[in-house]
Amino acid sequence: MRNRVREQRTQRGLSQAEVAAALGVSRQTVISIENGRYLPSLPLAFRIARFFELPVDKMFDPGDEEADR
Amino acid sequence: MMSFIRPRLRKPAWTVLAGAVFAAAWVIRGGPNWWLFVTLVAVATAGRAFAFYAWAGEDDDVGALAGSRADERQNQLSLRSRALAFNLTALAAFAGLTVAVALRASWWWPFAVILGVLVFGYLFGLSSYGIAEEAPADDPETEHQPPAPVGR
Repeated sequence: MRNRVREQRTQRGLSQAEVAAALGVSRQTVISIENGRYLPSLPLAFRIARFFELPVDKMFDPGDEEADR
Repeated sequence: MMSFIRPRLRKPAWTVLAGAVFAAAWVIRGGPNWWLFVTLVAVATAGRAFAFYAWAGEDDDVGALAGSRADERQNQLSLRSRALAFNLTALAAFAGLTVAVALRASWWWPFAVILGVLVFGYLFGLSSYGIAEEAPADDPETEHQPPAPVGR
């Protein structure tokens, strides 16, 4: 699962700590999501999408997983 | 239950409570050197409580868990670690029980108790968290169809 968290965050000139504070998670979790090591829960995915003002399916891309089905 | 205590102080508070109970056991036990063991328990408890408090100040996953402010990923980490601890405990208890039986030892029963508690806890968890819930399908026509394929 790919996501655009890092791309959107850097576009807006935000730090990982600022995004973490806005989402109510730790900085380490934002880093893990950006690196693709952690798949957020559905509520957190929606919070992320709302925060960056994008639809969830634009924020998260299943990539090859969708093709594997 | 501990929500009235500041998150950073919750784990130290549990540690102090457990230490006090354990120290009380040494007091009840009595004997010539009970005060020495109570002192050792007090020192170990204070050290552990202070360590939790200090860890809770760190800006990392361990600090978040020690400070009772973990987010969903950190809670998941903790849950997976607990599951690993459960598996290792079950393995160790089974090994201990097997050795005790083979040696015809009288100390087999603590291992059996641990295994029993683990099995009970696991089954209780399955029932509590809803795995046994069976609900009829919303649409009767779809009830006998094979389940839709799921990911993974």
